[in-house]
Amino acid sequence: MSGTKARVGIMAFGSPPAEVLRSIADAVPIHFGMPVEILPPVKIPSYAFDPARIQYNAVSIIETIEAMKFPAYLKILGVLTVDLFLPVFTHVFGEARQGGNCALVSLHRLGQDAGSSCTSAASIKERTTKVALHELGHLFNIIHCYDRGCLMHFSMDLEELDRIPVEFCRYCKAFLDESIKQFRK
Amino acid sequence: MNDKFRLMVVDDEKIVRESLYYWFKKSGHMVETAESGFEALEKLEKTPFDLLFVDIKMPMMNGLELLGKVKEEYPDTIVVIITAYGSIDTAVQAMKMGASDYLLKPFKPDQMSLLLEKLANQQRLAENYRYVKGLLDELVRFDNIIGRSKPMQQIFNIIPEVAQSDSSVLITGETGTGKELVAKAIHAKSLRAHGPFIAINCGAMPETLLETELFGHRKGAFTGANQNRKGFLEVVSGGTLFLDEIGEISPKMQVDLLRVLEEKEVIRVGDREPIAVDFRLVSSTCRKLDEEVKAGNFREDFFYRINVITISIPPLRERKDDIPLLVEHFLNKYSHETTKKVDKTTAEALAFLKDYDWPGNVRELENAIERAVVLSKSRTLDADSFSFLQPTKTRYKTRRTLREVEKDYIKETLENQNWNVTRSAEILDINRVTLHKMIKRYDIERTR
Repeated sequence: MSGTKARVGIMAFGSPPAEVLRSIADAVPIHFGMPVEILPPVKIPSYAFDPARIQYNAVSIIETIEAMKFPAYLKILGVLTVDLFLPVFTHVFGEARQGGNCALVSLHRLGQDAGSSCTSAASIKERTTKVALHELGHLFNIIHCYDRGCLMHFSMDLEELDRIPVEFCRYCKAFLDESIKQFRK
Repeated sequence: MNDKFRLMVVDDEKIVRESLYYWFKKSGHMVETAESGFEALEKLEKTPFDLLFVDIKMPMMNGLELLGKVKEEYPDTIVVIITAYGSIDTAVQAMKMGASDYLLKPFKPDQMSLLLEKLANQQRLAENYRYVKGLLDELVRFDNIIGRSKPMQQIFNIIPEVAQSDSSVLITGETGTGKELVAKAIHAKSLRAHGPFIAINCGAMPETLLETELFGHRKGAFTGANQNRKGFLEVVSGGTLFLDEIGEISPKMQVDLLRVLEEKEVIRVGDREPIAVDFRLVSSTCRKLDEEVKAGNFREDFFYRINVITISIPPLRERKDDIPLLVEHFLNKYSHETTKKVDKTTAEALAFLKDYDWPGNVRELENAIERAVVLSKSRTLDADSFSFLQPTKTRYKTRRTLREVEKDYIKETLENQNWNVTRSAEILDINRVTLHKMIKRYDIERTR
């Protein structure tokens, strides 16, 4: 990365709404202090599809992207509309490996409010942005936070996710700044 | 608030191990994985884990078998069963065997999160309980006397009998055998338990200081006596006075104390007025006072006054059966105090500790355990953890026969002399023929 300013690449799988990608792309420089580029969309990864579960294996997708080389980008954030799972879990909203290079966020369940037939586009956009920033936080080695007002707090459900502001708490912010500094050295 | 666990995921499927590994890392937990029950037990042997996630269906050793072994060897370790093959019977069996929870794969992420929160609360409560219990154990001093051997059982039987009376007790035994602990136990079991217990080490103070400490003084009695001061003989009224190393006090002090014991009055230094006192005397010595009396070094009348009842504590080398129990007690104590989980010893370590003579008795054993715990890098102490107890020349891991020692020394000499038999024989101070015979007898072969 020497000589190149560190930046984040947003990789759309299939066709997630453009305004969602835009929302994430606007939020990342604010909270991570680095530029963002929306990459050309790629196909939804059929290799990761599990027909028994009718879901996509997040681990497979992450491993595949991590194996690809993106020298121009410090981190890659994949955005999908399909339902993601980890082998032991029923589903995940997003996934990242602590300190890894690639994170995923899925819109699939972010519009599925209990007892409601329709979730507003604005809500979906905000929720996706929050999950994206949360997973990016993991890529910069920030762990889950106890503060329910922090983006790094683990949300059990959509209600809890909605209560979280689009902010890191001051402690996570400090750790994040420190972590990002290491990448800029 | 520290809700971070040291946890282990035990599952024969790599994808499950990895998924959970990375998931737990995001919450800041220390995670290890094992692909079998055997590997899990090997890791547990070396390092304490707070929490295990165990799959039921694994080859060779299934999850329930592992659960049983973990609960037997490491009862404080929490075990959660995770499985894709759930049945009510298995769930009930697992819970009966001590599993804390039972999760059916796949489960919701929030289920896992809630479970960890619940377990963290439980662990916090358990730690608080252990901490408070540790404090209570310190307070209830009687429980600090550890021993299952016959001599100690006899002492345990005597203590309540002796405690009920006010008779003076003399506790004898080598240094470090726990004489003060027995004195405290007598006090704790007596009718004076609610009164003070004051311990004075007679050997640690010069006589003039001991006199004023025990008897007190009147203002102006000597330079520096700026006010009246009660001595311990007054302060201890209603309770028990423990005079440690009573064999060290001077003949004059023996006379003064004898008068106090007979008259039940004390006169402060520099004063004339007697003050009534009421205490029970327990004393201790590592000397043979009866021989000191015969030698004229200790007053006979004082000896009989302090020695109405004698309790002799054997040295640790005469009650080696108590060593495993003492080791366990001190391991618990220092794991608690240092917050390092060192809770096991190997059979070789125990054998080594039982073999050692303990000239410093229980105090030396306690110091050795404390040192070994502080310096230990794993949860298990082995014989090497106590190598500091042996002189450098004889640093061996296990007991060796004379034959083994002889063989090794001959071999070492030969190797050092590059198998020059003539030179080796000279060093060993035997002739060459004898050396050849010994090489043959011990079947010693050249290795380098």
